[in-house]
Amino acid sequence: MEAGLQAHVAFHLTGKTQSDGLEAITGLDLRPALFAGYRDLTRLRYDFPLVLAQGAGEGRAPVQSLSAVIDGALRKIVQAGEADRLTKHALRLEREIRVLVAAGVAGSLSSLLDKAAWRPMAQADVLFRDSLARLRAALELDGEIVDCDKAMPARLLAHLWRAMQRRKARAARADIDRLVLRLSDILKADLVRSEAGRSAASLKAAFGAAHEHAFDFDAMSRLLQKAAPADTLSDSRRRRIRRLVATLQAQKFFPPPDRTTADGEFYAFAFDSAAGALDAYRERLPSMMDLAKAMAIAELEAAGAYKEERHDAFFADFATNGLDPRDAALFPDYLVRVDGGVMSAGDGARLMDILTAGLPMKVLVEIDDILEPSAAGGGQLVLGARSRQLASSAMAQGDIYVLQSPSSNLFRFRERIEAGLEYRGPALFSVFSGATGEAGGLPPYLVAAAALEARAFPAFVYDPALGGDWASRFYLQDNPQAELDWPVQSLGFEDEAHQRGAERLAFTMVDFLVCDRRYAASFARVPRARWNGHMVPVEASLGEGAEGAPETVPCLLMVDGDNRLHKVIVDRRAMREARRCREMWRSLQELGGIHNSHAQRLLTQERKAWEEQLRRTASASPAPAVEAPPPPASVAAAAAATELPEAASERKSEEAYIETPRCTSCNECIAINDKMFGYNRDKQAFIADVAAGTYRQLVEAAEGCQVSIIHPGKPRNPDEPGLEELIKRAEPFL
Amino acid sequence: MTSAATECLLRMYDEHHELEDYQSGVPRWCTGCGDNAILAAVQRLCRDEDLRPEKTVFVSGIGCSSRFPHYMKTYGFHGIHGRALPVAEGIKMARPDLNVFVNTGDGDCCSIGAAHWIHAIRYNMNMTVMLHDNQIYGLTKMQASPTSPKGLKSNTTPRGAYLEALNPLTVTLGVQNVSFVAQAVDWIPEVMYDIISAAFHHKGLSFVRIVQRCPEWLPKLLEPWLHDPEKVLLLEHEDAIRISPSLAQVYKNRRRHDPSDLDRARETASGFDPIPVGILYRNPRVPCYEELRTAAGLRSTERIRKGLEAEFDKFTVWPQQAAEGAPAE
Ligand SMILES: Cc1ncc(C[n+]2csc(CCOP(=O)(O)OP(=O)(O)O)c2C)c(N)n1
Ligand code: SF4
Ligand code: SF4
Ligand SMILES: [Mg+2]
Repeated sequence: MEAGLQAHVAFHLTGKTQSDGLEAITGLDLRPALFAGYRDLTRLRYDFPLVLAQGAGEGRAPVQSLSAVIDGALRKIVQAGEADRLTKHALRLEREIRVLVAAGVAGSLSSLLDKAAWRPMAQADVLFRDSLARLRAALELDGEIVDCDKAMPARLLAHLWRAMQRRKARAARADIDRLVLRLSDILKADLVRSEAGRSAASLKAAFGAAHEHAFDFDAMSRLLQKAAPADTLSDSRRRRIRRLVATLQAQKFFPPPDRTTADGEFYAFAFDSAAGALDAYRERLPSMMDLAKAMAIAELEAAGAYKEERHDAFFADFATNGLDPRDAALFPDYLVRVDGGVMSAGDGARLMDILTAGLPMKVLVEIDDILEPSAAGGGQLVLGARSRQLASSAMAQGDIYVLQSPSSNLFRFRERIEAGLEYRGPALFSVFSGATGEAGGLPPYLVAAAALEARAFPAFVYDPALGGDWASRFYLQDNPQAELDWPVQSLGFEDEAHQRGAERLAFTMVDFLVCDRRYAASFARVPRARWNGHMVPVEASLGEGAEGAPETVPCLLMVDGDNRLHKVIVDRRAMREARRCREMWRSLQELGGIHNSHAQRLLTQERKAWEEQLRRTASASPAPAVEAPPPPASVAAAAAATELPEAASERKSEEAYIETPRCTSCNECIAINDKMFGYNRDKQAFIADVAAGTYRQLVEAAEGCQVSIIHPGKPRNPDEPGLEELIKRAEPFL
Repeated sequence: MTSAATECLLRMYDEHHELEDYQSGVPRWCTGCGDNAILAAVQRLCRDEDLRPEKTVFVSGIGCSSRFPHYMKTYGFHGIHGRALPVAEGIKMARPDLNVFVNTGDGDCCSIGAAHWIHAIRYNMNMTVMLHDNQIYGLTKMQASPTSPKGLKSNTTPRGAYLEALNPLTVTLGVQNVSFVAQAVDWIPEVMYDIISAAFHHKGLSFVRIVQRCPEWLPKLLEPWLHDPEKVLLLEHEDAIRISPSLAQVYKNRRRHDPSDLDRARETASGFDPIPVGILYRNPRVPCYEELRTAAGLRSTERIRKGLEAEFDKFTVWPQQAAEGAPAE
């Protein structure tokens, strides 16, 4: 083995630099080569910062990216001729806002716009001020600006949750207020009809002072007392309705639209610990049941449908087995924010208990660092073990909404976050903020994005509301190039001879690790003079999987502050982490239906069977011609219906009968003899009892029937007087 | 939004009604009067749809036909001559949860109430309007109405009516926002029932003109149509009325008519011999006024009082200010 390779292999195997040809990377400000374009995020237009829209929930998107807001405003104001100037100024303002936000300035979009406009370069320019004024007027929304930092996940989730709570509260309040009004109306009507309500004093009070001297309320009262209404409320109903109104008015779950829970008159639902949320839930459960019950009874009362003999018993043990999920869904959800970094194993277990109890808890677990010290000790770091366990045991439950995502991807997941908040059941949001504090100069956004690219913290959603199986519930597609082990991108560069080139580069777990100070010892820079052909890209090296003394050494492409390329070799520890990460990613892929081993095995089997089938049919005779299909059922039925013997015409004209379906309910025949003629349940005439009258009556009815559908038939009693004449008169109606 | 428990309880104990549950009193109409047939069909509809009597209201004006609400054991409003429609509109606006029916006569609707009629069509509020058209003022003992045929001798036209009769169908079909127009004849109850039922299910104002016999004053007028099935043109369509096989044996004069075709509807509606019977026009997409104009928020006593006060304040003259010569505002 040549000397250069020897030193590299030694480093790879031991992590020790034995020759002076290798250099520690600490202090070199290197970052993965694929990050070359992301040196200054304030110059890029991307998802962040976000605008958390004020008054969200009124039919507009509750969160938008700053770029989208600016673009929206621009679309409204840009006119031919000025498009260039307005666009240029708007983009400059947008960049200024990014710079301010990156420097830690907080505030609303409008306040930051002001601050950006006061930057020196802007002040003197009249046209610039014009652009600003027009842009401002065209902004469709305002709201807090948040960058992708440590606090962002919690702020975003709380913002979306509040919008959702407001929607729920508005709907529930409308219901409650409507019921209170209806019930109060019933009580009021009852009062008006009561003795007290008809007293002179209350009549006078109802009238108002203006013209009261013009009326004699005593006389009015005497009159009204005489006309006592028959039906007043029963005592029990009056008591029940009063109780309902009291319960509905005293509820503390839903503040009116112009109020918040801040003043303590209404319950608050955001908590910093799972235990706190659980205690509050337990304590409020009885009032929640009372309110749900009161709403159900009030609804019946308002509809006048409450029947004591039926409903008293039902409501006596209402919801002893818990509320109907549809009713429970009307109530607020609890937002629980947990710091995953300080969560002990016991905390995790308690959290799972709450999630599995099916309570309306929306839990955000924030993790700032996914390279945790291994429980086995020895200074080893393991990859996000706790959050991974939490997410996978939650998914195993089957009825918990689970969303995992690094913060950089949260904006793209905003609708899925809303779906989780809306989900009728517990939801777990596991988020990696990227604010590790160990990544040197990399902003949290880039660390989070690197975790996503490197499969270190994949983004996925498990939504039980979407269907009954994993295929419909599990979503993995937001990970870059999810069908591959590692996403691959093209890196453009220029060599010493200023020749442009491009290389396909995979972004692997090793690229993520190299950003972390604690892993610095696993890497060593190789000076350009010592570059050799045994240095192979990490991805290729990971593919070999060979242990023992290798022929090659894995190496990373990195760039420094001036975007010059460097090569860095990697030790075995980092490679081992990368392999484990790939294994975890592959099992996620299987869950997501990517390279699913069961499916692939089945496919192979089926293909074999199909080929076998083909071979056999190829030697057999051609298939027989398809038979003509039977006529559709409805056609056959219609044909049968028209062929039905027409009842009336088939009848023997000997017997009296009426073509009942044609009867116009005109009462003529009934007026002649209501025993002989009767109405059926559709109030159409038929011959109820032919013996209940005379033949004369039959004939007279036939003559009187304007639609001529009474057929008198032949006389039954040969002794009836005047038969001869009657038979002649009956002739036209036979 | 109803709670799940309530919904389930209401369904569990759904009340079922018989036709008799909707009957009230003995109609004072003449024996043989076509109004009886309309009443029977409507009571049948209420039973078949299981309409809750306390959620149903019949509104009318003045006339024989307008006595209709008295014979329904539901809510009713026997109004003033020509004003059935505005009253019904007020009810629908205040209580959109009610089933609103209107029974009006040819005098009530097409003469004194004509202005309301036109605007009610345009407002297209969800209700079922039945025009009992006997082509005469029945209650006041035989005066010509706008729909009386030319030449009809009556107490007000002893030498015969001078003018061509007004056609309520073509008038209605000419108004903007018309959404449902049909014609029934009281002597084919089966089809009349189907039409009233379709009208009830239509969302919007459904206008059904029912050619109704008045044997008291015009015993002969409709005889030819009554006795010759060829003088009735049944309109059938898979989206409208289907004619039963037994009826098809009696009424051979039938035509397929697509109720979405407004031009064809107008053309068909203008004939009276043979008289078209069926759904002429239906457009479920016309917006209903009560939905365009639902007031947000609850109509609490408090809110109503505030609204009234604000209105009255516009016209209030405050004695103090008036004395000082200050403007009233
Ligand atoms: C304002 C007013 N004008 C006139 C009358 C008299 N009046 C009572 S019923 C009626 C005509 C009713 O005819 P129609 O609407 O066709 O009802 P029908 O009796 O024919 O069913 C008239 C003019 C009245 N009651 N009120
Ligand atoms: S006379 Fe004729 S239409 Fe009238 S009720 Fe009797 S059968 Fe029916
Ligand atoms: S007068 Fe005519 S419309 Fe009035 S009840 Fe008698 S038959 Fe019917
Ligand atoms: Mg009339």
